Amino acid sequence: MTGADIVVQVLVDEGVDVIFGYSGGAILPVFDAVFRYNREHPRDGGGEPLPLIVPANEQGAGFMAQGYARASGKVGVALVTSGPGATNTVTPVRDAMADSIPIVVICGQVPTAAIGTDAFQEAPISSIMGSCAKHVFLVTDAAKLEATLRSAFEIARSGRPGPVVVDIPKDVQNAQLGFSGGGALPIPGYRARLRAIDASALDDAQCDAFFDALARSRRPLVYAGGGVIAGGATAALRAFAQAFGLPVTSTLMGLGAADTTDALSLQMLGMHGTAFANYATLDCDFLFALGSRFDDRVAGVPAQFAPHSKFIAQIDVDPAEINKVKRADWHHLGHLARALERLHAFGLARGFAPLREGTYDDWHAHVADLKRTYAMNYDRDAALIQPYAVIEEINRHTRGRAIISTGVGQHQMWAAQYFDFREPRLWLTSGSMGTMGFGLPAAIGAQFARRDRMVIDIDGDASIRMNLGELETVTTYGLPIKIVVLNNSGDGMVRQWQKLFFKGRFCASDKSLHRKDFVKAAQADGFEWARRLDRREDLARVVAEFIAFDGAAFLEVAIDPDAGVYPMIGPGMAYSEMITGDHIPSRHAPAAREVSAAEMF
Amino acid sequence: MRRIISMLLQNEAGALARVAGLFAARGYNIDSLTVAPTHDASVSRLTLVTAGDDAVIEQIVKQSRKLIDVLEIADLTGSAHLESELLLVKLELDPTLPDALAGFVAFLRRHPRAQVLDIGAGVRTIEYAGNGMEVEAFLDGLAPIGRVFELARSGTAALERGAVVLAPAGPVPGS
Repeated sequence: MTGADIVVQVLVDEGVDVIFGYSGGAILPVFDAVFRYNREHPRDGGGEPLPLIVPANEQGAGFMAQGYARASGKVGVALVTSGPGATNTVTPVRDAMADSIPIVVICGQVPTAAIGTDAFQEAPISSIMGSCAKHVFLVTDAAKLEATLRSAFEIARSGRPGPVVVDIPKDVQNAQLGFSGGGALPIPGYRARLRAIDASALDDAQCDAFFDALARSRRPLVYAGGGVIAGGATAALRAFAQAFGLPVTSTLMGLGAADTTDALSLQMLGMHGTAFANYATLDCDFLFALGSRFDDRVAGVPAQFAPHSKFIAQIDVDPAEINKVKRADWHHLGHLARALERLHAFGLARGFAPLREGTYDDWHAHVADLKRTYAMNYDRDAALIQPYAVIEEINRHTRGRAIISTGVGQHQMWAAQYFDFREPRLWLTSGSMGTMGFGLPAAIGAQFARRDRMVIDIDGDASIRMNLGELETVTTYGLPIKIVVLNNSGDGMVRQWQKLFFKGRFCASDKSLHRKDFVKAAQADGFEWARRLDRREDLARVVAEFIAFDGAAFLEVAIDPDAGVYPMIGPGMAYSEMITGDHIPSRHAPAAREVSAAEMF
Repeated sequence: MRRIISMLLQNEAGALARVAGLFAARGYNIDSLTVAPTHDASVSRLTLVTAGDDAVIEQIVKQSRKLIDVLEIADLTGSAHLESELLLVKLELDPTLPDALAGFVAFLRRHPRAQVLDIGAGVRTIEYAGNGMEVEAFLDGLAPIGRVFELARSGTAALERGAVVLAPAGPVPGS
């Protein structure tokens, strides 16, 4: 077998059923091997076992791999050439690192002898990606190619998941090699640390300490992050929270960990979290952080975060997240699902029954009151179309069961706030990196992972421009993806910050003079159903037609350009200084304090 | 506060760059860094001198431990340990001082661990090893005798005292 054949065989062995890739000189041997493999192994019914999906730009391939991984929990694969092909994937690789998404990016590299000679389409990928990825391999010894590829998958999916880059010089792809069908690199340090995590179990004393504190609590709150979803701990969390009557709020990345329609779900907390979640975070006396990391969009001022919590408990699979931002009074390093199941069983055996004993009754009543009084709301009588209304209208059809991807900005926050998420892996968003242009390619990747689900990209006019070329990819592959562009003629979130913190100087964020016709763009790329909605009274009807259309559909909505994202905890502000806007009540007068623009990010 | 961190690293392409890159990306300072293979050629030992409070050092250790190539890492600052640094220095003896050479010889006598590696016309190249403070004191002592016009320092290497070792967390390839 050639090195290229080995690449393909390992992908198949690892369970890969789709590759997102763009060809080029230094990766041609692998592309050829994919072609030959598909020709020689037709599936029953004639399909290809390893379809190769070609984006408009390699960044699209990276985000498609991410969309696939986020929607399925499996490792997504991108295959690109050297130089610009590889550097175009830097953004999705860093984005996957920041959100702990398992992908493997395989890059062609110039032949070993040409490395370091400023060869055509050469870039120092192992140096560049070394700063961005969970790990990067430059395969200089062809004999280690197979083991390296297997190790790449192992590293991507194990521990705290993340992106792994494998840089393969062209001569290694062309080398004649033996195939052993198994074996990985030793990576002894990493494996030992994984084993320690795998072996980590809560002992009785730790469980007792946890329940001692929980029993003293009258206002406990679970703060669930993306780690709950990555760790497959959704069911364990739901059972645990239900058994003991614990309200759950989640981070942007954790949406879907709890069923957001549940009575004890407080939806999202943080900078643009719901007012009721943020007030509950202010009021809680026991905070249980699960696979969440107190990042700056949640705990902007760590010292004032959850100020009344007398006890912070934390479980994470990554040792570096324990005590990084906020000291935990109790922590456990290990797999979330197993730890929660253990605590659950221990609590029951200990006779901990706060529901039966009414320990949290007042708190439950308080939470219900917060949810009622400070419910998400907006100007329901406005003449212009309100973006919140568009999300609510779509949600009436999808009911928390569709896969939703987004770009980054206001539309992303509106989608997070107004959609229901009843299951994990339905919400695909660039949380930590905040990469505009994520939504469309991520939706494409997700549709390949979940053929059975409706996939909707909720995008903004600015975000979708960033990877607009992928509109054509949707129709090329006949994907029934629904795309919504909430058009407010500009970078809405930037405008919101400029309005609040830069005295309304809308530098470079207003695009009302742009002449793009999004509907024509979609039609040009083969969308049969492409419409613009600009009349409020048509909202329900057009959305119904859009959702009902059998195939790819593109809906541009002209929304109120002044619509803002509320609530908002300004950068550098504490939860007690949350602004709720004109349509959600607030527990206090709006903050008068000004924070210097230089201090905020 | 000055800290000494020891790390065992698999000898892989780019491994050292990834350690240095992590420090740069997370804004940790490196005051000195020394690295070379150990008695097991597949493993390098890296000693880093940095500064930071407990929280910073805890993060440095934990973030470094996430690097795939890192076998083991420890902060030696708090435990009994030995430090040594190699100094090579070129000294120009002051020609205006009649007893420059005699002063130099007397200085060497006070520093039996110093070795003269090379003798040129009015120039001596000296090797000295000691902990950071000793090296500083040695350099200070040279100042009145002549002009230091070139020097190279290796950075600090460190080991824990006694039989304690920084052991790789798992089986090491080739061992």
